[in-house]
Amino acid sequence: MNYSNFTQNANKPFVSITGQDQESISFILSNTDLSVANAIRRAMIAEVTTMAIDLVEFENNTSVLTDEFIAHRLGLIPLFSSDVDTMIPFTSRECSCQQYCPSCSVELHLNVKCDQESRSVTSNDLISVHQQIKPITSESDSGILIAKLVKGQEISLRCIAKKGIAKEHAKWSPCAAVAFEYDPHNRLRHTTYWVEDDVKSEWPVSKNGELEEEPAEDEPFDYLAKPNKFYYNVETTGALKPQEAIIAGLKVLQKKLAFIKKNVEGIAEEVGTGGVEERMF
Amino acid sequence: MADTPVQKGKGSSIFSLESHGRDDLRYNGKKLTDPINTVEDKWRLVPAFLQTKGLVKQHLDSFNYFIETDIKKIIEANKEVRSDFDPEFKLEVKVPMGEDLRARTSYQLTPHACRLRDMTYAGAIEVDIKYNKGKQGFIKRNIEIGKMPIMLKSSKCVLHEKSPDEIAALGECPLDPGGYFIIRGTEKVILIQEQLSKNRIIVEPDRTGFISANVTSSTHEKKSKTGVVYGKAGKIFLKHNSLNAEIPICIVLKALGVESDREIAELVCGSNMEYLELFSPALEECSSMKIFTQKQALDFIGAKVRVTQRGSRVGIKPNWGDEARALLADTVLAHVPVELDSQGVENFRPKAIYVALMVRRTIQAVRDGGITDDRDFVGNKRLELAGQLLSLLFEDLFKNWTLQIKRAIDQQLKKPNRTSQYDASTAVSATSKFITDGLFRAISSGNWNVKRFKMERAGVTQVLSRLSYVSALGMLTRISSQFEKTRKVSGPRALQTSQWGMLCPSDTPEGEACGLIKNLALMTHITTDSDDKALQRLVYMLGVEDINLISGTDLYSDKETFLVFLNGVILGVHRQAEKFVNDIRRLRRIGKVDPFVSVYRTVSQRTINISSDGGRVCRPLIIVNKGVPLFDENDLKDLVHGIKKFDDFVITGKIEYLDTNEETDSDIAIYEKDVVYHPPNFPGIDFNDVPNTTHLEIAPFTLLGAVAGLIPYPHHNQSPRNTYQCAMGKQAIGAIAYNQLNRIDTLLYLMVYPHHPMVRTRTIELIGYDKLPAGQNATVAVMSYSGYDIEDALVLNKASVDRGFGRCVVMRKFSTMIKSYANQTYDRLADAQKGDDGIPITKHAALEDDGIAGVGIRIASGNVLINKQSPMETSQRPPGSAVGSSDPSAIPFRNTPVTYKYPGEAVVDQVVMTTNEEDQTMIKCLIRQTRRPELGDKFSSRHGQKGVCGIIVNQEDMPFAENGVTPDVIMNPHGFPSRMTVGKMIELLSGKAGVLDGNVQYGTAFGGSKVEDMSKILIENGYSYCGKDVLTSGITGEMLQAYIFFGPIYYQKLKHMVMDKMHARSRGPRATLTRQPTEGRSRDGGLRVGEMERDCLIGHGTSSLLIERLLFSSDAYDVECCSKCGLIGAYHGYCTFCESRESVVSVKMPYACKLLFQELMSMNIVPRVEVATLE
Repeated sequence: MNYSNFTQNANKPFVSITGQDQESISFILSNTDLSVANAIRRAMIAEVTTMAIDLVEFENNTSVLTDEFIAHRLGLIPLFSSDVDTMIPFTSRECSCQQYCPSCSVELHLNVKCDQESRSVTSNDLISVHQQIKPITSESDSGILIAKLVKGQEISLRCIAKKGIAKEHAKWSPCAAVAFEYDPHNRLRHTTYWVEDDVKSEWPVSKNGELEEEPAEDEPFDYLAKPNKFYYNVETTGALKPQEAIIAGLKVLQKKLAFIKKNVEGIAEEVGTGGVEERMF
Repeated sequence: MADTPVQKGKGSSIFSLESHGRDDLRYNGKKLTDPINTVEDKWRLVPAFLQTKGLVKQHLDSFNYFIETDIKKIIEANKEVRSDFDPEFKLEVKVPMGEDLRARTSYQLTPHACRLRDMTYAGAIEVDIKYNKGKQGFIKRNIEIGKMPIMLKSSKCVLHEKSPDEIAALGECPLDPGGYFIIRGTEKVILIQEQLSKNRIIVEPDRTGFISANVTSSTHEKKSKTGVVYGKAGKIFLKHNSLNAEIPICIVLKALGVESDREIAELVCGSNMEYLELFSPALEECSSMKIFTQKQALDFIGAKVRVTQRGSRVGIKPNWGDEARALLADTVLAHVPVELDSQGVENFRPKAIYVALMVRRTIQAVRDGGITDDRDFVGNKRLELAGQLLSLLFEDLFKNWTLQIKRAIDQQLKKPNRTSQYDASTAVSATSKFITDGLFRAISSGNWNVKRFKMERAGVTQVLSRLSYVSALGMLTRISSQFEKTRKVSGPRALQTSQWGMLCPSDTPEGEACGLIKNLALMTHITTDSDDKALQRLVYMLGVEDINLISGTDLYSDKETFLVFLNGVILGVHRQAEKFVNDIRRLRRIGKVDPFVSVYRTVSQRTINISSDGGRVCRPLIIVNKGVPLFDENDLKDLVHGIKKFDDFVITGKIEYLDTNEETDSDIAIYEKDVVYHPPNFPGIDFNDVPNTTHLEIAPFTLLGAVAGLIPYPHHNQSPRNTYQCAMGKQAIGAIAYNQLNRIDTLLYLMVYPHHPMVRTRTIELIGYDKLPAGQNATVAVMSYSGYDIEDALVLNKASVDRGFGRCVVMRKFSTMIKSYANQTYDRLADAQKGDDGIPITKHAALEDDGIAGVGIRIASGNVLINKQSPMETSQRPPGSAVGSSDPSAIPFRNTPVTYKYPGEAVVDQVVMTTNEEDQTMIKCLIRQTRRPELGDKFSSRHGQKGVCGIIVNQEDMPFAENGVTPDVIMNPHGFPSRMTVGKMIELLSGKAGVLDGNVQYGTAFGGSKVEDMSKILIENGYSYCGKDVLTSGITGEMLQAYIFFGPIYYQKLKHMVMDKMHARSRGPRATLTRQPTEGRSRDGGLRVGEMERDCLIGHGTSSLLIERLLFSSDAYDVECCSKCGLIGAYHGYCTFCESRESVVSVKMPYACKLLFQELMSMNIVPRVEVATLE
């Protein structure tokens, strides 16, 4: 689409990043509609593709935990999934293979035998065949605990990590929590605070409230006003960097819109311009 | 004990006798240097109490008493076996010194091995026998006469006094309370039985409305019921089940040797003219019957003795007087002893006074306008425990056993010419199974039959429910009442005020057994029998005047004279009642008298009752002296620092046990602030109105039981909600025991990620629920969402479910025996049957080479787990029989596989191959299935609020708080107003505060974290003080108009899951007899169009549908029927009755109808079918 036609700069969405670290990012999105803002949130949570262990083949498991238990835990371990789409082109549902193939999956191995008194099996023990797609690591942390073994116990297994989205299972979600807020002072009166005496003394204003001007005591209620400024805080599991998750989410949205556009155009060609409206409404 | 190493908190048990078991509890967030506040920290006595006694102390105490004392007494009392044929012969059973059960098992049998191998956890009862062979005497030592099932954790159990580590090493869970038996691999609990107390006078109206005083006498030999009735026109009778008529009371008194009417009147009425007036008709009746002397009275009674009693003495002319004398001495009021004096004459005096007292009580009740005793009063109840029940059973079995031996010996000794001297010990060893079988059978079936007492009780034992840890605990504290469930009386079911602190007010089932099945409160102790000989001597020493030396006037004349009873028997009178009672109490407090002896005064009846009998419920209380609780700060310090134990405070007289009766004679303050004391001669106060506080409660929350103790803030809930939770807590899936994965139970539910609750109670920690929890802390939003949440349905977050919320494991046992048969054949295991391609057929896909499903292999419904084959013929052929060969190897086999027939995929978890006691091989397969919550699974909070999952919603559609937190569960707010479970709201608030604070909060009954403090924590963390948050819709992104109550609540997943229940069928199996579809899910049955559904269809006028449903879809059948004779049963169009083919028609009818006709015909009723053409 040709955006240069937009003359009014004010209609363009605007993003300002207010804070960022390894796992989370906070930013303010403004000049857009609530529905768009929420769609971004939803896309980030549910439709960003990542890698996660989906099939586990046990060769030996003499730990106290059952196979399914360990498999479930393995599934929830985040795997580095930056640029996953370039490396693994398909999710397992899109892929034409029978069960899994290199174009939709990655293999990981876990072979641990306990020779000491006891030891923990963590995500660091998971060895990936792939260069980049492997369990997340961080310096501060000794890995995600999978199981604990005592002397003589052994776990050896083969995992197949597949590409997927969180609509299918939450393990594919790159986001831990997505904070989303607008109108911290409740100017728009979208919510009705429950109070005993007084809203101000009873309802603490969130941190984002500092970024907005406090409404004056006698400010008239603008019933036509629409939410315009959205405060996000995206915390990821580590599978993606926070900004990657956001961009991936936007891409998902873009794809969806493109899909709609393509289909609408297809219909328009078929029936003629007038027909589209008839069909759509 | 002092040398045992200190066991620190983790993994250790508070039930272990080792007092350091849970240091973490004793200190509980308190440093040793922290100040100690008696008012706040008094509850620390509760863990101390449970440490010394354990949660199921009642069962253990009772069993220990039986096994250590009672069993010896029983053997001692019945030790002699004599022969009718050889007066010289004598066999004596002796309890060997240091005799020990379980000592002689070939190897140490552990309870867990018994469970796995379907064996009985039992020890040998070993005795010495002394007998003579001719003139020679023999002694055989350590002869086993049978096996006694051993209660887990009792003094004869291997787990006794073991540290948690040692217990774990034996394969047992350290948190397991014990107190049950293992019979043939199943865990059996002998429920506590509630009964009316024996040997006590209870005055109540009888069936006809007359006031009567009744006593159920019970001694080792006899059990009988005696009653004194105040009948029509003031006539008073004695009723007894061995007398076939009512005897005027004065005749009874005269028979008991009180011949003068004046003396009778004195014994009954004292000098009270009112009583005398009420009593005079009875006196007159006697004299009008012309009975004046003891002899006349005895003869009169003798004539009324029930015939069955006399039947045994056929041929001898009955001397009615002696008959009556014997009856009065032994049977009537059997518990009042009648001793022979130096001349060999029975001393009936105590019995006469007792009868007179019963009369006095009835008269008193009549005078007071029918104020009678309350048989539902807990003090009038006795609880019978495993030990007492086993003792009854064992005594019966032992007596029968000696009788059997006697018979066996008689058999031998009556032979005129014996070739060798008879060795009586063979008779002993030959009958060794008798006692064993009797005990095992009774415990495993629950049928308690003791002929001596005409006792026939069913359902005494139950299988220990291992659904969850609390369900097992709840079962061990359960009390079942002897009352009939069907009777619609409210009295025994109602909550009694005297249950306070003894029985849990919340924990009772709903419906049929409501109020009849009760549960013990946390600190209840049940007494065991103790010897009263010493006590009797003491009582006399303290100034009680012997009853034999007292005349009627002395008994009741003086206001200060109190009758003194010991276990229901009158000992005498005391003239300074208060001093006497205080003396005994003082002696008890300094440890000279058993701590469980109770003594109390009733002023209205002017009696002092001392009890030392077993089965009384009692509980510990802090003694208050002159307004000061004796348990003070220093004691608490000693307790917290582990210097003193609970029993030390009992010995030093700071804490004592009160039974329900003594409680009525005390003034117990609930809190220290309620303690009142008025020094003597305090001006302006009348002491009769304001009693001084005598005791102080240890902790008010102990009035609830173990199961009700799980509820946070129960004192804020509507009471039935707590009762519902008590029932539901037992169905919650969670951790069962530390050894849960080594157990092979028929059905086991386990939770994958159980949490300990954010909002705990003291009880939770005390019973170890924090270590074996059953539930998860769910973040709950109380709001309406999607409409799939009406009628208590819950909305679950799909992401939470994906991440493990409510995930559980179901384990099922499949087992079979590999038997060997009489004809030298035996069962065998076959390998998988292969198809043409050499691959095992689908049914056998899970089998390994040994014919058993392999561990870790996935199985589906229909898979064979154990491919067993059994011989077609198993009985021994008679030698030389003509048919077939007798070669066992030639007998063909048929398949008798064990098949997995449940929906859903599962995995083989374990396979056990072992042998049982009879050396039969046994194979057990444990099948595991992991389930995630699905639509229709049942959940419940801890406040009796159950609901099913109505919809599972994607995370992005869920509402979320401003920090991005989505709820795990959405609960509809309509659940609150009518249920009034305020406790749940406070739980949410405390839970939320706890989460933000990083602490667990407490919701202990009558205490716990205060709402005000919780609100403060919320405010500090930037939340609204009321627990409500602004939520944003996940669907639109708009803020929700309403504020949402949002925070963690502990949710339990209940065992009712859709997967086990869902069922539908189109075509399927039919019953053979009626050809109608089978019934029930397990048989793949049809769904019934019942009477109401039928009514609906009729109402709709859909007759064709009805016909289809009721006939064609069920059991339609074409019957050939003769239109001429109307009989059914024509054969291929030929009516055998009419001998013609002319009029045979085919009629469609239900097969059941045809069956009915045939059955009617078989009983000579001719049903004729009239046939007409359809118009």
